[in-house]
Order: sequence, then structure tokens, then C-alpha cells
Amino acid sequence: MSKEELQNKDEKNVSIDAGLTNAERELQADAKSDNKEVKRISYAGLIARRFFRQRSAVIGLIILGIMVLIAVFGPYATPFNYTDADFTAINMAPNAKHWFGTDGAGIDLYACVVHGLGRSLTIGISYAILTTIISAIIGTAIAYVRGIPEKIGMWLLDMLMVIPSFLLVAMIVRAAGGESGWLMLIFGLTAFGWIGRARTIRTMALSLRERDYVKAAKYMGVPPFTIIVRHLIPNLGSILIIDLVLAVIGGINSETAFSFLGLGIKAPDTSLGYLLSAGSSAMLTTPWMILIPSAFLIVVCVGLQLIGDGLRDAFDPYSRAAGSVKDQEEDSSKDDAQLGDLEGSIVSEETTERA
Amino acid sequence: MARFVWYVTKRILSYIVMIFVATSLTFFLASSFMNPRSNFEQRTPRPPQESIEENLYRTNLNDKTPVIERYQVWVTNLFTKFDLGMTPTGDNVNREMSSKFMASIELMTPATILSVVIGVSLGVYTAQRQYQWQDRFLSGVASVLLVIPTVVMAILIVFAAIEINARAGSRIFYVTDLSSGDTGNFFTWLIDFLQHIILPTIVLTIVSSVGYHLSQRTYLLDEMHADYVRTARAKGLTRKKAIRKHALRVSLIPTAVSVAFSLAGIFTGAVMTEKVFAIHGLGEYFINCINNNNIHGAVAVAAFSGAMTLVGALLADLFAAALDPRIKMS
Amino acid sequence: MADITNTSAKQGNVEMDDVLRYELLESNGPKGAPTGDPVLSVRDLKVSFNTEAGRVDAVRGVNFDLWGGRTLGIVGESGSGKSVTALSLIGLLDDNAHVTGSIKLGDEELIGKTDEEMSELRGTKISMIFQDPLSALTPMFSIGDQLAEALLTHNPHMSKADVRKRCIELLSIVGITDPENRLDSFPHEFSGGMRQRVVIAIAIANNPDIIIADEPTTALDVTIQAQILDVLKVAQKETGAAVVLITHDLGVVAGTADDIMVMYAGRGVERASVDTLFAEPRHPYTMGLLGAVPKPHLQAEHRLVPIKGNPPSLAAIPTGCPFNPRCPMATEECSKKEPALLPANAAEGHLASCHHLQEICEKKLTYAEVYPDFEPILPKWVDVPRNKRPVVLKVENLTKTFPVQGKGFIRRSKGTMTAVDRASFEIHEGETLALVGESGSGKSTTLMQIMDLLKPEDGRITVLGKDVAELKNAAQRRELRKDLQVIFQDPMSSLDPRMPVYDVLAEPLQAQGWNKEDINTRIGELMRLVGINPDYVDRFPSQFSGGQRQRIAIARALATSPKILLLDEPIASLDVSIQAGIINLLEDLQVQLKISYLFVAHDLAVIRHISDTVAVMHLGKIVEYGETEDVFTNPQDPYTKALLSAIPIPDPKIERTRERMIYQDGKLVPATHISNE
Repeated sequence: MSKEELQNKDEKNVSIDAGLTNAERELQADAKSDNKEVKRISYAGLIARRFFRQRSAVIGLIILGIMVLIAVFGPYATPFNYTDADFTAINMAPNAKHWFGTDGAGIDLYACVVHGLGRSLTIGISYAILTTIISAIIGTAIAYVRGIPEKIGMWLLDMLMVIPSFLLVAMIVRAAGGESGWLMLIFGLTAFGWIGRARTIRTMALSLRERDYVKAAKYMGVPPFTIIVRHLIPNLGSILIIDLVLAVIGGINSETAFSFLGLGIKAPDTSLGYLLSAGSSAMLTTPWMILIPSAFLIVVCVGLQLIGDGLRDAFDPYSRAAGSVKDQEEDSSKDDAQLGDLEGSIVSEETTERA
Repeated sequence: MARFVWYVTKRILSYIVMIFVATSLTFFLASSFMNPRSNFEQRTPRPPQESIEENLYRTNLNDKTPVIERYQVWVTNLFTKFDLGMTPTGDNVNREMSSKFMASIELMTPATILSVVIGVSLGVYTAQRQYQWQDRFLSGVASVLLVIPTVVMAILIVFAAIEINARAGSRIFYVTDLSSGDTGNFFTWLIDFLQHIILPTIVLTIVSSVGYHLSQRTYLLDEMHADYVRTARAKGLTRKKAIRKHALRVSLIPTAVSVAFSLAGIFTGAVMTEKVFAIHGLGEYFINCINNNNIHGAVAVAAFSGAMTLVGALLADLFAAALDPRIKMS
Repeated sequence: MADITNTSAKQGNVEMDDVLRYELLESNGPKGAPTGDPVLSVRDLKVSFNTEAGRVDAVRGVNFDLWGGRTLGIVGESGSGKSVTALSLIGLLDDNAHVTGSIKLGDEELIGKTDEEMSELRGTKISMIFQDPLSALTPMFSIGDQLAEALLTHNPHMSKADVRKRCIELLSIVGITDPENRLDSFPHEFSGGMRQRVVIAIAIANNPDIIIADEPTTALDVTIQAQILDVLKVAQKETGAAVVLITHDLGVVAGTADDIMVMYAGRGVERASVDTLFAEPRHPYTMGLLGAVPKPHLQAEHRLVPIKGNPPSLAAIPTGCPFNPRCPMATEECSKKEPALLPANAAEGHLASCHHLQEICEKKLTYAEVYPDFEPILPKWVDVPRNKRPVVLKVENLTKTFPVQGKGFIRRSKGTMTAVDRASFEIHEGETLALVGESGSGKSTTLMQIMDLLKPEDGRITVLGKDVAELKNAAQRRELRKDLQVIFQDPMSSLDPRMPVYDVLAEPLQAQGWNKEDINTRIGELMRLVGINPDYVDRFPSQFSGGQRQRIAIARALATSPKILLLDEPIASLDVSIQAGIINLLEDLQVQLKISYLFVAHDLAVIRHISDTVAVMHLGKIVEYGETEDVFTNPQDPYTKALLSAIPIPDPKIERTRERMIYQDGKLVPATHISNE
């Protein structure tokens, strides 16, 4: 009996056709069921929707966008730059000519802030990307190898954690100076900044490495590095992305701290941290010198934090925050259900079977 | 008990090895990135070459000596005389450091206690009101405070204090150092001390209590939905009581562990706060070491922080073992 | 019964009155008809949740009564609403649950009570036993403290001595030996079965009128399950309480329940006394459930018949009769209107909700007629008889030990634990060997030892004639992996959620160095082979049901045409109604491709159905090894006997009369001896 004949038969009788394998029956059932094409939405698209549904996250994104625009195009909006002094205007409060005022040498603060903002953002973002890559690879690799290499790796990580990394970074970045000092700062921050995160990622990879799909890949003969790159890192993706955003904050904070201490960015270059350091010496006479860079730092960091929180809620299928406006969008609830499934959970009242 | 002592001893021994390796690495790192020679070369008038060499050689900081040899001398002195080495100016690092301890301890003790108490209470309070306005407001404020750089926060608080002083017309808050120096009777000393300590304590408390707040909130939220809370409710406890008696207890373990870690920080101080408020503690000393090419001083501070970190780790283990019956002591 | 707090049509009221009347007629069970007033009446109970996935109707109008001393079994698959029903009785649903209808405890209406008001009743009137004993007790408090809390919450003035006395008494009721000293133990010092006994002791501490047991044995091994069910009976005798036993396992209710309600998609679809339900199921779903599970006490006579499709998601319940897409009798009418629960046999209080109920009753349709799909067992050995086939996998004296370490601060070594102790067996081409054992028996370790393809600690593993100890490098191992593949228990975890089906299936082929065109062709073949539409290659695992995911996992394992397949509990995490489909698929594949299976499982019924030989493992040792039918009909080892006597049999009459044996220190002891202590 051919398959065409079978399919033409009445639905009720199909099941009594003997001699079909289970697989063939399953395919028939599938063909018969009213197979509406599932409207697919990519995982990234799904996360984006859930992200943009949160007002605070959108505000954060707008803040970051504006800050980046200011850092990139801001220098073109003023005739002054951050190195040349205007001797006609010394210690001027903000005014029409010098929007953010000037310092004791007559250098325009607006020019300094837009340049410093760019520096701080560059350092923060570079630091975040570099440490994320390094810590993801090392963290998952240590978790995956097991046995003696894992023990050695953990001992090394512990050892590197013993001395607070702030102190080690300080030793390296003190050498930073001049126009390329910021590269040294990125290097120093990165060199010791990945360690703590690698430990966290290892902890998370510990449960991933026990997943059956990782074991299955291993038993298929897939090489270890491929397993790490194909299975472990992508499945930590949501955490890595959230951490990336938070690491930008961490980078900016560190830059501020080191430059404030006189160890990071130094004149003639400038950064938000350096401006704070310079401004703090004349806090009472020229308060704008310290309040304006402070305000920029707070706005950038809070904006990034809002993005990070928004991402966390977007990735978390159980979060109420990302779904709170679902009544407005009719089909959004389906996305949420799909997301729940993608994250490995089904809306089900119980776990029926033994674990 | 004997076995317990043996395991603690074993643990401490392995920590000591770890500190030694880490400190040695720090020594090499510091030696390659710091240049004490420049201290002398930049002096005006520039001292004679022989005097520079002589000074550097005497303090075991001469870069013309191979770094391995300097390391050997340093290690030998460390193990035989517990001598941490000398500064480029010829002072003894041991002596310099010991004078900085007290300031750090005075600064950090009240801040640590306050931040644990405030942070954990807020964490418990907000977790029990998840999604209500109290939680949204307090946790929102905490997550903003979490990301503001410490320096910015310190500076803004200094501004506010100066403003208050100006309005009040008298010095209520001091924004530098820990004492005015004139020691009258105990009472006036205490008032003076409080006037100095309050601002840095506020900064430090804000900085670390938001961390305790947010993590305690997460821990408690995790435990609130545990099966055993449901069992407790099925017994007849109200939800609030079940959470207070069962979930809270379990959720305090990870907090206790992180408190243990932070106790070690009492001795090492806080770099940024000490810098802003001109408090002469270990944190400020470290920055001075770096700026003055004081290799031995910087290494000593790093080693001391490392030792404190590991004391914290040991404390954390003991706390966990004491609180969690699943971890056996014997 | 006039004051029902419900807005639905009047018809609902009539129906509900009927329910009560018919329940009183449930005379056919082991205890006859219930007498007196019910302790609890549930009427038109509806529970819905506002979740991310939209409104989920978890319970959609459930009615039943509970009588002291009787047990109501609620049976259903995942998503049937049975656990939500249970939680709503005791008021432990999450805050986002919306509950309507009526739950009356005597004259007291429970719906609408606050948490404080309900807490007065919890423990004293209604108590509950949960599924997972490992997480049900607070790790920080001793057993004694947790028991005492149950007493002191409701009797704050009880003296210390009285509390202690009562705690000891409770622990002895639930069969914990040496209760005086056990009071100071912490939960982690107890095994799962022991903890469940403690949970039961807590539940009966204040002599409740109602005990709700939500899958109390699902997380436990089969021999422990039997003991816990016995303890539950003792607890019921002790308190005279009404028991609600919620389970997905028909075998569990067969020996325990008096009355049964089968739930599907949030409603009761059939209810009757236990004997009637098993003897004359009237709803096609009940028939399917009873028919789709292999019978542990009978030799397999025909292939299993799966219920097609999957249980519905509560967020998207089909219109009309929710079972209609899966029902072999479904007609036009079924997809339009949801049938009411109507009497199938009024005299016995037997109700079923099916549009074809009349037809079924009149013609006395049975499972064999509704699912007329019986096929003979496949002829596996026709071309080459079994003993002439080559041995493909041979394990001799395999031994594996683990160092045992304490947890946390002091990681001291407590010596070694022998996980596998000189295990030996062999598998011929096209044969199925079942490795049976409870948790900790070493069955999974054995399987992983084979998969590792490394020299074992002791003994020898020979795969297709090659001693794995002689494999020199990763390349040689990879070569052998082509012929040796594995399928895991949980298809959710065995497929990478971030990879579409195409990549999942391509992975083993890429590892073996196939080129792209061959991979494309092979993936199409594989998907047809396991019954997944090849057009779905771009979908992610989450877009498939549990059964389909397991098919994909099977397809991946088959990709390189292996000769041997190791299956680690391949159906244990699937719903009962779809297990049969996977079993049939595995049988088909074995005949088509002559693969050998090493089938690791704890479910003896499935093993009896599918395997040719059985090896029973206990504490790392193989205690019995032989032909499947020999082992089942004439077990030699006392542990095997105990194991066989503990399997719940889905037949109440057999289940009530057979004697359970317990294995203790190498000897068999009748279970009655223990539970009466």
C-alpha cells in the first residue's frame, strides 16, 4: 500500500493500517494536522521586543546614545579644544562663550568634558569587550577540562585573586602618560580585570558542562574547543551580554578612580576622572569644574545600569517587568511563551516524572 | 577536634603558599613598573651619581642589580627578620605601615558594621515587598548608588557638608583627616572624632550597604519560593512567619560569608575615601608608595591585603560551617 | 446545595447536585459506598493564572467530595491541573492565581479566606505532603524542631515534654526506627524515603481531617515508593482522614485509592470507584492511558498503542472536547462543544465526559475496540537467530570506584565508594539488554564507563571486538564512536536550546568529517526515519513537544549508523501517553537497522516489554542476569524478588491482594511485618 493511498484515506481508518512503522504514522499525523506555519521570530528579535517594552531600558539606551553622540560630535560644536587655553577667560563660570566655564588656566571645560567623555567611554567599552572575551574563554575552558588541569586553573585563579586587583592595576597604570596613556590604562585594567569574572563564568559553566547535550557532543567525538565555542559560550550568552554592559560601568568607574588618584589619564590627555581630580583642588572657588564632570559620570553610569537591568529582565523568562505591558500588544504573550520555552521552561503546573 | 585543627592548619599552610607566590609575582611586577632611580635623578640639584647608586644599593632598589638578586635579599630579610624592606628614602617599611593601621581600623569599623546592618535590613524589607512601591523605590535607589563612582559620591557629600557648614555658620563637619590634633579631655576628643569620621563613614556605608541590600534581597527572594517554605506554610504558619523563620535563616548564610570576607577589609582601608578625606590610612599609603616609587612599600601593602583576603576566606568558611548544619566540622 | 457561588448557567447546578448523588453510589470499590456527610465539598472549582504566556486556565470546573477514611485518587498527566487543584484546597497557590467556585470544609467556605485565616486550618484540618522530599524540609533545622513546630504552631502552650513525646510517637508511626535519637538529626542526614516519612509525620501531627498527597512517591525509587504508600495508609488509619492522592501513575492509585478522578486539561473527564474505573473505563482517554502502559505482570502479547499527539498546553486548550485532537473516536461534534460529565453507570456512580458515551456504554466498547491497532510483536530474529549473531558489546568485570568527599569546609576523603563492582554482560547484534536498578545502583555509571572509551579501572570493555583499553588516541576513539551512541533521559537537556534541529543533527556527522552535501541528504533521511517532518530543520528544540524532542535525540544518535545504542532512561521523563510511541519507534528501528540496545531503566514494566535479556543491578553488583521472561517469572535473587513485588500493578484487584516483600540485609521480609510495627 503506497503512502499516497494512505493519505487519501479517511482519517478515522488510517490508524488501523497495519504494517506501518511508528515513524511513518507520526509523519502522517503531522501531515494531516492543520499545520499552520508557525510565525517564527528569532531569539534576538524576541529579546529586543522584550527589551524595548521596558520604558526604563529605553531611557537608558537613549541616554547612552546621546552620550555617544556628544562624545563623537561634541568637539565640533566649539571653537576651543581641551589643550589650548583662552587667556582672556580664566576661572570663568559657565557662560555663553564657554558653556561649561573654564579652569584656572583658561581651558574650556566643555571641550574637556566632551573629550573626556569619549575617553571614558572608549576605555569602559574596550575594557568590557576584552575582559568578556578573555573571561568567557578561560572560565568555560577551566570548567570543561575537569580533573587536574581544572585544579591547576582554579589554583591560579585563586592565586591571582589573592592580591586585590586594584593594587596590581595601580602599579601598571602609573606608567601611563601622554597621549597614549589611555591604551596603557586599558591594558592594565584588562590584565587583572578578567580574573574575577572568569571565576563567576566558571561557576555557571559547571552546571552547563553536566548538560546532556554537552555529554552527547563529547560522545560524538566533537573536539573540546569546538564544544566550548559551540555549546558552552552561546548558552551563557545572556549572562555574558548583561555582564558586558555592567563591565562598561566597571571600566568607567575604574578609569575615574585611577585618574582621580593621578595614576591613570594624565595631562595633556583628559578624561572624566582626570577632570574630577583637577577640579577637586579648587572645589570651593570653581565648583562647576567638579560638578559638571560628576553629573556626566552619573548620567552615563545610570544610563548603562538601566540598559543592564532591562537586558536582565528581557532575558529572564520569569521576570514580570518585561511582560508588564502585554495587554497592549496582542501577540506579545506568544513571544513570552516562546521565550519561556527557549529558556528551558514550559508553562506547566508540575514536573510529572522522576528526575 | 584534633582532625578539625589539622584541616584548618592544612588550609592555612596552603594559603601561605598562595600568598607567597602572589606576593613574589607582585614584587616582580612592581620592580618592572616602578623606577626609584628617577626619584633621585629628578631632584634639584641632582645628587652625584655615586650617591644615587649608593642610596639605591643600600635600600636594595638598584636596578643595576639583577632583579633575582634583589628578590633573594628581600625574601631572606622577610623570612629571617620579618623585614619588609626599605623605602627609597631609607625608611623602614614595617615602621611606616604600622602607623597607618589604626587610622584604617578607626575608619572602617563603624562603616562596616553600619553597612551590614542597614544593607541586610533593607534587603530583607524589600524582598518581602517585591514589586510593591517600597521595593521599587529602595531597590531602584540602591542600583543607582551602586554604579556611581565612589569619588563622585564622596565629592558630592563633601559639597553638601561644606554647604551645611556655611549655612550653619560653624564647622559641624570636618572634611579632612580624623582628628584636629588638639587632645583635650576624652569628651572633646570624641566629639572631634565624630565630626571627622561622620562624612567618610556615610560614603563608605552607602557604597557597601547597597551591595548587601541588593544581594540579600536576591538571596531571600530565591529562598522564599523554596519547597520547604511551602511545607512550613502547610503546617499552619502564615506566609510572613514561614518566610521569617525558615527562608530568612537560610538566606543569611551567603550574606554571612560575604561579611566575613569584608571583615578583612577593615585593616586595609579604602583607597578612594582615604584619598578624598585625607585620612592617613593604609589605602592612602599605598597610593603614596606608588607615586614615590616605593617598591617595597607597595609590595608590602599588597601582601598584607592578600593575607587579609585569605583571612577573610578562612573566616567565611568558618562562618558557613558554623551556620549551615549541612557542612560538618568534624 | 443551593448556595453555589458561581455565575455559570443553571444547568451547572443541576449537574453538580448530580455529582454528589452519584458519588454516594460509588459502591463498587473496596470500601463500598461512602456514608455520612463529606468532610470537604468542592464545587465548580476554577483556577486561572495571569502569566507571561497569557491567561492560563489550570482548573476549569472540578467537583468532588471527600469522606473521612476514604482516598480519592486524582490521575492526570502534566498540565492536567491536578496539582493546582490540590494546592487550591489548602490555599497555597501563588498570588497571581484567580480561584472561583466553592470549597467547603464542613460549613466553612475556604475560597476567599486570607492567608492568616487559612493558616489556622492548615495542619489542623488540612495538611499536605509534597512531591520532592529532598527540598521539602528546611535544611537548617533538625527533624525534631520541624516536627515540634507543627505541634506548637497550633498548640502554643504544649509543654516541652509533651511535644517531645508526641514527636517520638509520630516518628514511630511513620516507621522511623530509633526515633528518640533521630529527633536531633538534620534533613540532609536522611535518605529521600526517610525524609518523606518525616514529611508525612508533620502532616499528621495535628490529626487533620484531610491529607493531600501531591505525587508523594514520584521522586522516589520503586521499592521506597511501595513503603511510602504503606506509610500513607498507616497515617490514614491513624487519623481517619480523607486522603487525596495525586499522581500520574495509574499503578500507584490502583492499590491505594477508593475513588478515582481522571483529569485532562483542567477538568475531570472520568470518575468512578477504583475497581470500576480499571475494569470498565468509559472515556477514550482513560482507556488509552490504561492501554498505553505496558503491564509489568503480564508478558507482552502485542505492540503498544500510543495515544497520538501530546497533552495540551494549559494556555491553549483545544476547543470542544479537549481530548478531541488525540481521540480515535472524535467526530465533528467533539471539536465544537465540550461534553459534560454524565453518568455512564448511574447505579455505580460512574461518570464520564464524552459525546460518544452512550455508544461506548451500549456497545460496551473496550480499549481494544476504541484503539483497534493491535499488532503482533515484531519478528526480530527471523533472518538470523539470536545465538548465531555476533556479540557487539562485551563487558567483563567492570569496576569503578569514586573517592567519597565530605561537603564544604572540610573536604575530607571518606575513602572510596564502589559504584560498579565487577559487572559483566554481553549484547548480541540486534538484541536489547536491560540494565535495571534503583538510584545509586551503578547502572548509569556503567553506561558512562562504556561511553568514555577509556581503560576501565579494572575489567575489560570490548566494543565490536575492540578492547577499549587498547585504543591509543582520540582519533581511534572517534572512529569507534561512530558505532556507539547514547540517548539520554531528558530530551530538554540533551538538545542544545540554542541550536536548530539541522545543527543538532549535523554535529555528529561533522565530527566524523562528512561533507556538506552528504550531511544534507543524511539529515533528511534521519528525520523521516524517526517521524519528524524534514521541513522542520530550521526549528529550535523548544518548538517541539517532549516526545518529538526525544525523537530528534534518537535521530542524532542514529546519524552515523551506529551498531550499538546506549539508552539512559529514554522514556522516563515523558508523559505516560506518549511513552508508547517512543517504545514503538525504538522497536521499529531495531528491526530495520539491527541495532543493539543497552537499555538502562528503573521501570520494570517497560523493560519486560522491550528487552530480551535483563541484568539487575544492586549496589554496583549485577545480582541477576538472564532472559527477560525467566527473570520476571522466576526470579532467583532476593533483591530481584523484592523489586518485582514493589512495582505497582495497574489492576486494583491484584494490587490489593498481593504480598509485598522488602529486601533487608540480603533477606526478604514481608512488608506487613514492617508497616505494622
